[in-house]
Amino acid sequence: MRRPEEEEEEEEEEEEEEERSSPGWRRIPINDNADLLAEILGRLDGRSLAVAGCVCRLWSALGRREAVWEAVCYRQVAVAGASAASGGTRSVVAALGGYRRLYRLCIGPALDRLAGVRRRQGPAASAARHVSLSLALSLFSIDCYERLGGGGGRQQQQQQQQPRPTSLLFLGQPVDVS
Amino acid sequence: MKLQRERQGNLHGGRGWYGAAPEMESEKKKAAMAEDSDVDELLAALGYKVRSSNMADIAQKLEQAEMAMGSSAVANDDALFFQLAADTVHYNPSDISTWVDNILSELNGPPPVSSPPLNAPAPLEQQKRHPEALPSDAEQSSITTVELPLSTRRPAQVYDLEPLPAVNVTRARGRFAYSSDPQMDVVDPSPRDSKRIKFCSSPPSSSSSTNDAATSTASNLPAVVVDTQEAGICLVHALLACAEAVEQGNLQAADTLVKQITVLAASQGGAMRKVAAYFAEALARRIYRPPPLGGAVGCPSFDSVAFDDMLHAHFYESCPYLKFAHFTANQVILEAFAGFRRVHVIDFGMRQGLQWPALLQALALRPGGPPSFRLTGIGPPQPDNSDALQEVGWKLAQFAETIRVDFRYRGFVASSLADLEPSMLLGKNSDDCGGAENEPEVVAVNSVLELHRLLARPGALEKVLGTIRAVRPRIVTVVEQEANHNGGTFRERFTEALRYYSTMFDSLEGGGKSGGGRDQVMSELYLGRQICNVVACEGAERRERHEAVEQWRERLTGAGFESVPIGSNAFKQASMLLALFAGGDGYRVEEKDGSLTLGWHTRPLIAASAWRVAAAAADPRSSR
Repeated sequence: MRRPEEEEEEEEEEEEEEERSSPGWRRIPINDNADLLAEILGRLDGRSLAVAGCVCRLWSALGRREAVWEAVCYRQVAVAGASAASGGTRSVVAALGGYRRLYRLCIGPALDRLAGVRRRQGPAASAARHVSLSLALSLFSIDCYERLGGGGGRQQQQQQQQPRPTSLLFLGQPVDVS
Repeated sequence: MKLQRERQGNLHGGRGWYGAAPEMESEKKKAAMAEDSDVDELLAALGYKVRSSNMADIAQKLEQAEMAMGSSAVANDDALFFQLAADTVHYNPSDISTWVDNILSELNGPPPVSSPPLNAPAPLEQQKRHPEALPSDAEQSSITTVELPLSTRRPAQVYDLEPLPAVNVTRARGRFAYSSDPQMDVVDPSPRDSKRIKFCSSPPSSSSSTNDAATSTASNLPAVVVDTQEAGICLVHALLACAEAVEQGNLQAADTLVKQITVLAASQGGAMRKVAAYFAEALARRIYRPPPLGGAVGCPSFDSVAFDDMLHAHFYESCPYLKFAHFTANQVILEAFAGFRRVHVIDFGMRQGLQWPALLQALALRPGGPPSFRLTGIGPPQPDNSDALQEVGWKLAQFAETIRVDFRYRGFVASSLADLEPSMLLGKNSDDCGGAENEPEVVAVNSVLELHRLLARPGALEKVLGTIRAVRPRIVTVVEQEANHNGGTFRERFTEALRYYSTMFDSLEGGGKSGGGRDQVMSELYLGRQICNVVACEGAERRERHEAVEQWRERLTGAGFESVPIGSNAFKQASMLLALFAGGDGYRVEEKDGSLTLGWHTRPLIAASAWRVAAAAADPRSSR
C-alpha cells in the first residue's frame, strides 16, 4: 500500500501522466478505488473471484463482500421475473446465509455439474441447461433448514449433534471459495 | 401320493437344494427300489439312480456320446438329429448307463448327427424348429414313479436327447412363453407343469428365446460358466414362474424356484441382482409365512417409524423422485396461493418436513411479501413417545423466523389418515393477529406418497377424500407412484412390480451417486421394504397399493374433484432440477394430461397431479 503522500502525488500526476501516455489511457491505481475494484471483481465467475481473494488483504476483504458475490450470483444464474436484485431477496438470502454461501453450496456445484454435462453432450445440449435463481434458492433453503438444530429442549445438545446437512450432496462436492 | 410326501419333504425348510435328495431317497426306498447310500445324491435327486462307483464310467460314456455327436461331418442335420432324439426313448431314468450305451450304439451306427446338442446353442435352434424335442420332465414323470425335484441344476447333456411324447408338448410350450400367455391348462398334472416352467433358456440369440419353448438348462454347477445374459433371462423367467406357482398354491414348486432364483441372482451384477434378491426374499416370505410379528407379517420386523424415516431421508438424497415431488407440489401450491394473505397447508405425510423450507422461501420472496403461513402436519404415532412432529414444527418455525415469515404450526398424530376429521384440520386459531381474521384463509392439501396406503382398508379413501372436500381446499396436490401394484391377480401385480422396481433400481445405479454407496444402499433397502409389502403381504397389511395416475384420476373425479393442469413453470423447474442430478440424462420429465411424471428413460415412475373441488359446489373459492 502506498503512503498517503504518494497517493496524492499519484493523483496529481494523473493528468500529467495522461499527457505523457497515449491518449485515451488513464492509469488508475486500482487498489485505491475499492468500489471500482469491487465492481470489477463482481464480474468474475466464482472460481476466479475466489482466486482473486488470495491476492492481497484488500482484495480478500473485497472478495468477501456480499455485494460482490451478489453480482456474481446474478450473472451466473438465469433470473426469471423483473425483481432481479430487490431488497427483499437480499434480506432473505442474507438470512439464509448470504450470497457467498449460496454460491458455494448451490450455484457453484450446479454450474459445475451442468458444465460437465455440456462437455459430455457437446454444445448442442438440450434447452434447460441453466440454473435458475429460484431453484438455487430453494435448494439453499433446504440446506439451511437441515443445518438448524433440533428445537426446544434439545438446544443444549445442539453443539454435539450438529446435524449433517445432506440435501445438497447430490450436487457433488461444493466449490470451496473460502 | 408321492407328490404330497415330497411336498412335505421340501417344505422342511431351507436346507437347500441338496437337502432334497435324501427325501427323495427315502421315497425311493419306499417304492421298493432297494437302494444303498452309494447313490450319487445329485443325480438321485433328479431321479437318476447312479451309483457313485459308476459315475466315472457313466461320465466317460457321456463324453463319448458328446464327441460322437460333435464330430459329425454332417453338421446341422436336423432330420437325423431328431430321428435320433425321437427314437431314443428314455424309459428308465435310473439306468443312465444303459441309456448312454443306447445312444452310443445308435450314434456309431447311423451317420453321426449334427452339431453337439450338448452345447447350449444347438438344442435351442433345433428346438425352435422342432418343439417336440423338449426335455421330458413330463415324460419322465409319466413313465417313472419318481417325482423329479424342482431344480434345473443338472448337467445339460443328460436331458437334451430326451424325447417328449406329443401329449404334453403344447402345454409345455405354453408354459415357456413369457408371461403374456394368460391361459394355463392348470389341471391335474399341474405340479409337473410347474416344474417344467422353471426351465430356463440358454439362448444364443436371446431375442428369439423369450418366445420359445426354451428348454436347455443353464447349468449352475460351479464348473460351468454361465453367460450372464442367459442367466438374466433365466432369472426373469424363474421369478415369473415362481410367482405363478405361488398364485396356484404350488408352494413346493415355488420353494425350489426361489432357491434357484437366489443362485441365479448371484450371477448377475448391479441392479438386476439386487432387485432379484429383494423379490426372492419377498417371495420366500410369502411362501413360508412366518407367524405374525406384531402385525407385520412378512415384512422386516424393525418397523419403527424412525427407521422408516431414516430410509426415507436417504431415498430423498440419492435420487430425484422425492425432490421432484416436493418441488412440483410447491410450485403448484405457490401459484394457487397467489394474492392471498393468509394461507394454510395441510401435509398428510410430515416426516422431516423437507418440502416446506423451499415453499416458505418462495413465499418470502414473492412480490408483495410473504403471507401469514399456517402448517398442519400429520404423522404416524411414534413408538418411543418422542414427539417428532413437534420437533419438525419447531425447526420449521425457526427457519420461518429466520426469513421472517409469519408461521404457525400444528401437528396431528394419526395412525391412519382416515382418522382425521375436518374440524380437527380446520381448527380455528383464535389467537390470530387481529385484523387478519377478516381475510380469507386459503387451504392447500398436500399428499406425497400417502394416499395409496388408504386403499388397504375399504372405505378409508372415500372418507379421506370427503374430509379433504370438507376442508374446501383451493388446491390438492397428489404425488403417487406411477404403477399399478393393486391389480387383480397376484401374478399381474408381481409382474408389474418387477418391471417397476427394476427400473427404479436401474435409475439408482445409473444415477452414479458420488456421495457414496451408503445412500444408495439405504434407498435400495427402502425400496426393498416396499417390494416386500407388495409381494408378501395381503389384505390390510398390504399398504403399498400403488396405482397409476389414470386410476387416481378416476377415483378423484368420482369423488368430486377436477384436475388442475400443472403449469409450464413447474415443468421447467423439474427439468432444471433433473439436469443437476448426476445421472440426469436418464431421467425424463413428461407431461401427461395435466400431470407431470418423472421417469427413467421411457418408464414413468412417479406422477404429480393437482386437483381442486369440482366447481359443481357453490363455493366461490373453488373457482379459479
